[in-house]
Amino acid sequence: MTLSRLHEELAAASHCAAGCSQKQAVWHSGKVTLYRYQSIARPAAAAPLLIVYALVNRPYMMDLQEDRSLIRGLLAQGLDVYLIDWGYPDGADRFTTLADYIDGYLASCVQHILNEHRLEALNVLGVCQGGVLSLCFSSLYPQHVKNLITMVTPVDFHTPADLLSKWVRKIDVATWVGGGNVSGDTLNQLFLSLMPFRLRQQKYVDLMSGTPDRARIENFMRVEQWIFDSPDQAGAAFREFVTWFYQENRLIHNRLEISDRKVDLRGLRVPILNLIGKRDHLVPPPASLALQQLVGSADYTALELDLGHIGMYISARAQHEVPAAIAQWLEAR
Amino acid sequence: MSSDPWQQWRAFSALFTPGAAAAAPGRGGPASFAPFTETAERFAAAARAYMDATKALAAAPADATRMFTDSLRELFADFQPWNAGMGTGPGGAPSGFTTNTAALGAAREHQQRGERMAEAWRRFEDAQRRLQRLGADMLRDAAAHLASRLGTSAPVDNPEALRKLYDAWIDCAEEAYGRTAHSEAFCNALAESVNASADWRRELLASMEHSAKFLDLPTRSEVNTVLQRVKTLEEEVRVLRKAAEPKAAEPKAAEPKAAARKARPARPKAKR
Repeated sequence: MTLSRLHEELAAASHCAAGCSQKQAVWHSGKVTLYRYQSIARPAAAAPLLIVYALVNRPYMMDLQEDRSLIRGLLAQGLDVYLIDWGYPDGADRFTTLADYIDGYLASCVQHILNEHRLEALNVLGVCQGGVLSLCFSSLYPQHVKNLITMVTPVDFHTPADLLSKWVRKIDVATWVGGGNVSGDTLNQLFLSLMPFRLRQQKYVDLMSGTPDRARIENFMRVEQWIFDSPDQAGAAFREFVTWFYQENRLIHNRLEISDRKVDLRGLRVPILNLIGKRDHLVPPPASLALQQLVGSADYTALELDLGHIGMYISARAQHEVPAAIAQWLEAR
Repeated sequence: MSSDPWQQWRAFSALFTPGAAAAAPGRGGPASFAPFTETAERFAAAARAYMDATKALAAAPADATRMFTDSLRELFADFQPWNAGMGTGPGGAPSGFTTNTAALGAAREHQQRGERMAEAWRRFEDAQRRLQRLGADMLRDAAAHLASRLGTSAPVDNPEALRKLYDAWIDCAEEAYGRTAHSEAFCNALAESVNASADWRRELLASMEHSAKFLDLPTRSEVNTVLQRVKTLEEEVRVLRKAAEPKAAEPKAAEPKAAARKARPARPKAKR
């Protein structure tokens, strides 16, 4: 490949659209949209699966391209998949709280699905920060959750390897956030700063040094687009999340309240599957493994995979292992 | 395409760096590529010098290694991700206010605000200096580890060896950075940098709001007040609507629980 061709490939790939599976918006409120994915396989005998993604970053990482799509893998297992897209908060959303997200939007999405299917409970898959939101929701509304799956979800925010937590623990979050939102650009720089030499240098050298074929470049650019497509964070919710979880570690100390209601994980007795990335630099494995000691569920399964944080969604290995593991686990319940 | 990654980088840089249009006529490119392209090229130059020195035996391998790792420390001296990591710091010129001046008279509030800004600026600069010192120590640590990893044997001069050298440097730099970033000193300095810049920004905002009021322009605080009122009203409407909804809108709690255990396929037209 000539350099001119490489340039053309990069320029073309930078505009490629992420997301591959057919979906339909079935509910929305404000900037939040609930999607239902079109099935591609014979339906499994399982309740609908609602994916609760993180507020940071965009959920299309779960459906990046056909051969790197956790959602597609779940659909291929016959699961009925829903996904919450939190949207891009702007200045008008600065006072949106965690209670609004959990007790408002998330609860409304669940209610919509339950009404549509005439069910009492559904399956919930919480991803990263979305896993924390899912834990809170499941604790507040256990009657609506049949099975809970947490993926790369931090629970203990004070484990020794948690660099992000160490950094923010002494920061005056209220002053830092002020009355506004936290920009996605700031969060991008923060995440890059966790491994700056690799993320700001080496990966681009890898890009140039590897095989310059179109598929590889497009893969790279899709992930690059996702990494830097970071929504601003609603100021109030961000402040609460950093203070309550990163600084005060309230889940561990059993001191968390949402909407004036106690979030007591000891009362959480639904079956739980905890998916952990052994090489996760954002959520160190011990931060997730702590869940077992906190919940009251007698049916708890931890599955540690030799993957990183992002690899859990998009690596070739994840495509083979994760959807099948989830489907089998659900089928057994 | 050349098999030498550093030549690739040079060509890549020419394609994407503004001002190098001659190499790629009519095509612009992201300037964001320039910093790491430049760093990679400078690394390549330092590595080449290191390899040449060891090959020609103009210097003992240990001396060449020391010169190489010293040049890496210099090369990465300005590589300070923490500056951008936690929000922007005070971007303007420092205030002309100084501290420890008696605030008297009608302008005392403005004077005190200016003094708080000056103090926040001083704290921010102090924290930045501490971070710079830690950054320099981190690079020294990384260079020492690279030197010990290189040992006294001369590397083979080919593109693969150059790439391995680069990867070894990145490994050493990342490990050293990790040790530094986890340290109490770094966390304290970073927090102080963020806190000081946040204090400075808060005082600046107050100052600007004062000016806005003078010009009868809406302030951020006023807009926030309106937003909070709207939010309160929305919540009240939501509660009222929920209370007015018929019970049928609730989930079908009367259904047998067995039905929930095995959900009905909701889409009869699903592909098989």
